[in-house]
Amino acid sequence: MTHLTWSSDRSPVELEADFVVVGTGAGGALAAVTLARAGYEVAMVEAGPWRDPEDYPSTVYGSLRDLSDEWMTGVTSGRALWPVVQGRVVGGSTVINSAIVVRTPGDVFADWERDHGLGGDALAERVWTHQDRIEGELSVEETVKGVYGNSNRLAQAGAEALGIHDHAMTRNVAGCEGSGQCLQGCKGRKKQSTNLVYIPEVLERGGTLLSSAPVARVLLRGGRAEGVMGRFIHPQTKRKGGAFTVRARRAVLLGASATHTAPILQRSGYKHPALGGYFRAHPGTAVFGVYDELVDMNTGATQGWASTYYRTREGFKMETLALPLELTASRLPGVGLDLLERLTSYRHLAMWVHAIRAETVGRVKAAPFGRFNVKYTLNKADLERVRRGIHTVARAHFAAGAKAVLPGVYGLPSSLNADQVDMILEGPLDPRAYIGVLSHLFGGTVMGVDPRTSVADPSGRVRGVENLAVVDASIIPSTLGVNPQHTIMALACCVAEDLLEPRPA
Amino acid sequence: MRWVTRKVLLEILPPGGALPGLETIDLDAFLKGFGQDAPFLMRLALFLSVTVFVFSTPLTLGIPWPALWLPRGLRAKHTTKLAVHPIYVVRQTMTMLKMVAGMAWGQDAAVRERLALKAYEPDPGTWRPAS
Repeated sequence: MTHLTWSSDRSPVELEADFVVVGTGAGGALAAVTLARAGYEVAMVEAGPWRDPEDYPSTVYGSLRDLSDEWMTGVTSGRALWPVVQGRVVGGSTVINSAIVVRTPGDVFADWERDHGLGGDALAERVWTHQDRIEGELSVEETVKGVYGNSNRLAQAGAEALGIHDHAMTRNVAGCEGSGQCLQGCKGRKKQSTNLVYIPEVLERGGTLLSSAPVARVLLRGGRAEGVMGRFIHPQTKRKGGAFTVRARRAVLLGASATHTAPILQRSGYKHPALGGYFRAHPGTAVFGVYDELVDMNTGATQGWASTYYRTREGFKMETLALPLELTASRLPGVGLDLLERLTSYRHLAMWVHAIRAETVGRVKAAPFGRFNVKYTLNKADLERVRRGIHTVARAHFAAGAKAVLPGVYGLPSSLNADQVDMILEGPLDPRAYIGVLSHLFGGTVMGVDPRTSVADPSGRVRGVENLAVVDASIIPSTLGVNPQHTIMALACCVAEDLLEPRPA
Repeated sequence: MRWVTRKVLLEILPPGGALPGLETIDLDAFLKGFGQDAPFLMRLALFLSVTVFVFSTPLTLGIPWPALWLPRGLRAKHTTKLAVHPIYVVRQTMTMLKMVAGMAWGQDAAVRERLALKAYEPDPGTWRPAS
């Protein structure tokens, strides 16, 4: 096993491997393990440090400092500042997500075939075959009732009362203990993030990992990707270390995320009119329900319940989400003594979220200091979906017995009772009125058959560079309406497999 | 600047409420760590938010004095008005202040004990070295 990281001597590192994979999250790790299992030497290059579960923080402060991408300072730069949630650690966002595993819905493949000329049924079969295998490798299981917790139980009761079809969340956890710490990394090693499962396997198969090693650019010459380069940075002080250059004998695969892959290509001098374009997301907002009974939302699975009942009808999904006390203090309405008064009911709060399958299209581009800029402003149709999503979540709270909801919409009362819930449907159609986040991101280097509108071909290969491919959510040409981790993983396997095949002349 | 930031954060979660405010917490130590750990953009956002808080009294109370010169009642009124201010960017500065105040407050063992929540273990801040 070879692991290289920042060191104080600042000596340069140069190495060569068959394949170089940038990023170790859902896409990068699955691509790397696919290639390593085929017998190739793989070098993985990850911007964040390698932290084991015993290194994970407990607090939100520690999570922002140690596991997130620059304290989540990446925000949309449209009309509203909505944060972009991503991990920056070996394992990527799989370390800080809620371990949600949802198979790619069949209608997504039909959309891709119709709108982008992608594989249709054949691609669906291929993706689902990979997803079958991945589910076994990651111990995927439905959230068991023993760790359901009150928030998930109330959500189930609320959905049932409204006649909304729902389900226990399917997650990549092995023996979840319901510690409610998914977002800070599972210290109990229950969440099967890629740093626990696939990265060690790649290393055991002779691979190399460079951590705390943000890639500055891909070395492009004569229509080929020769490798990648950058400088190590100290995991905490961010002090720069030695330079690294990793050369690829066969190919370079980019899995740096939907917000970093396109900017890396831009910094590398790659040009394409669609580069950074067709950026999409599942924006979401949250609604607190205030209950007489004790909820303790941070006890039990962080996200143990979901409903996709409205996914095709209205264009949103609903989920539970446990919010730590620190973030609840910033998310609840009010300030000063009023805020402290509200915080006394923290253990009686349940936070449920909705995320819309947005039709809004944005753009991601490189910003100074290795950062990115996301231009994204929700359009009117999407804001109407947001309103309906909040309204439905609020109704579910009341159906479950909440005495009030806190919708978090500027222009509406901060607390609504059951008789006032329809006021949400008259809420402002202005993204600045909502407290939202972009948690699932797609595009920037989308794949498709049209060379004018797709940076990557249907095999995920970057056009004009014969041995450069993209293996993260950047290639996904649409939103999915479900959690994308499983789709990203399976597509990464497909792209990596295709690199092993000789290309037709 | 740290003194001003501490005073402003104390307005977000002040003493005398139903739960302990930030007065029970060593904010200087927290802010020192924040200054060392947080990226430039985060520190800039906090600086700008504190500045807006201090000098935005003309927007909220129609008076020219810096917020920290005001008596406690007026400061509280100013804080409340900023949190629901019609200008989006002004509201966002309050979100930033609430986030930083919330992080310092919500991880404190005494605060968590008052809510009968388990105290956090210390954050190790460690990572795997080269091997």
